[in-house]
Amino acid sequence: MTHSNGANLFDNLRLELRRGCLVVAVLAALRTEQYGYTLRKALAEHGMAIDEGTLYPLLRRLESQGLLFSEWREEEKRNKRFYRLSHEGKVILKQLLAEWQSLNASLKEIF
Amino acid sequence: MELLDRYLHAVKFWLPKAQRQDIIAELSEDIRSQIEEKESGLGRKLNDAEVAAMLKQLGRPVVVASRYLPQQHLIGPVLFPVYKFVLKIVMLCYLVPWILTWIALMIYDPAYRAAHSGRALLDTVRSSWAAFWFTMCLAVGAVTIVFVVLERAQAKSDFLDNWDPRKLPPVRDPNRIARGASIFEIVTNVVVTTWLVEATWSPLIFDRFGIRITLAPVWRPFLGAIVLISLANLAFSAVNLARPYWTSSRAGLRLAVDILGSGVFAWLCKAHIVAEFTASGLSAAEIAETTNAINLWIVKMFPYAIGVGVIVLAFDLYRIIRLKRAATPSSGSMAARVLPTSASG
Repeated sequence: MTHSNGANLFDNLRLELRRGCLVVAVLAALRTEQYGYTLRKALAEHGMAIDEGTLYPLLRRLESQGLLFSEWREEEKRNKRFYRLSHEGKVILKQLLAEWQSLNASLKEIF
Repeated sequence: MELLDRYLHAVKFWLPKAQRQDIIAELSEDIRSQIEEKESGLGRKLNDAEVAAMLKQLGRPVVVASRYLPQQHLIGPVLFPVYKFVLKIVMLCYLVPWILTWIALMIYDPAYRAAHSGRALLDTVRSSWAAFWFTMCLAVGAVTIVFVVLERAQAKSDFLDNWDPRKLPPVRDPNRIARGASIFEIVTNVVVTTWLVEATWSPLIFDRFGIRITLAPVWRPFLGAIVLISLANLAFSAVNLARPYWTSSRAGLRLAVDILGSGVFAWLCKAHIVAEFTASGLSAAEIAETTNAINLWIVKMFPYAIGVGVIVLAFDLYRIIRLKRAATPSSGSMAARVLPTSASG
């Protein structure tokens, strides 16, 4: 395996690994209301950088699944869409966190 | 901000109408926030090149828009392997006999070779190439349409979930010769050869209702060859019945017998085997014309005889190659290790 192939493979696998975690991270971050840009910055500050092309479609999907609420509001003279976790979202986040902890424990045992 | 407006307009074009305004408003707000943050960091306005670099990093408008669209496909990942398999079979069934028949005609038919050499060959290749692609596109298009319909049907129904593992086909050993097939070959050989000898021993093979069909003397050597080939096939089928596994030597012998059989059959097509066809009320000229027409009709069967022969020989060759591969330890074939390859014989 060449170095660049190995790097590509790692990038792809890392992307796959992070994909599921991103949903949990977004749901957890939206326990407090935020709009897209601040949410993205908050996630990046915690080491979960996500580009706008991934975040906004994900937010729409989660909203259509009833896990988030959103509303347009004016802030600093600009219209912004604010998101927050719904009741159903809170329940699902709790379940997902429990699942994640269980996975983590299993992985630790395997290692 | 002209560049940003152009960018957002291009993204908007690819978005679904119902969500266009909403998505663009949100995307616009995010990009403007990014620009503002950079500008406050630099303490000046961003120039066009810097905005362009930022937009380039965001991605091509159609790519950005596609992330908001539902995933769409004509044939999904579940049916795609089946689709690919069917396409391969269609191509194999069309392309291989087509090329092999053409090669066989060029080798064995002097008249065809003469008519398709030099400039005529180039013309033939050109017209055949066009015909080949047209038929290929039709075949691929038809298979694709069928699978698109299947994809839609499976998305709406649960036919992929309704299956029974007990109905899966048994694991088949390709080198095992079915005893039923050997018995069928023996019976067919005996019946057909006996009937052929009985019916064509005398040159006058039909004499009823005022119609007489007489075979040419050239038929006799053919009959002899057919009987010999039939006897060889009989012996072959008897051995296969007793030891129902292909071996390299038997596969080689099968190829030799089939080459002989195909050659005789092709030769028969061109030999003008009907000496005379008479019917009451026909003049001598009409009799000659009818006899000639029957012989020419049989001659026209020659390419088809070659085609059938080529397919049979291709199967025989494939069997030999398969046996050789299975016998080679370095092939690493799972099938060679798992399935019984040959018995003695």
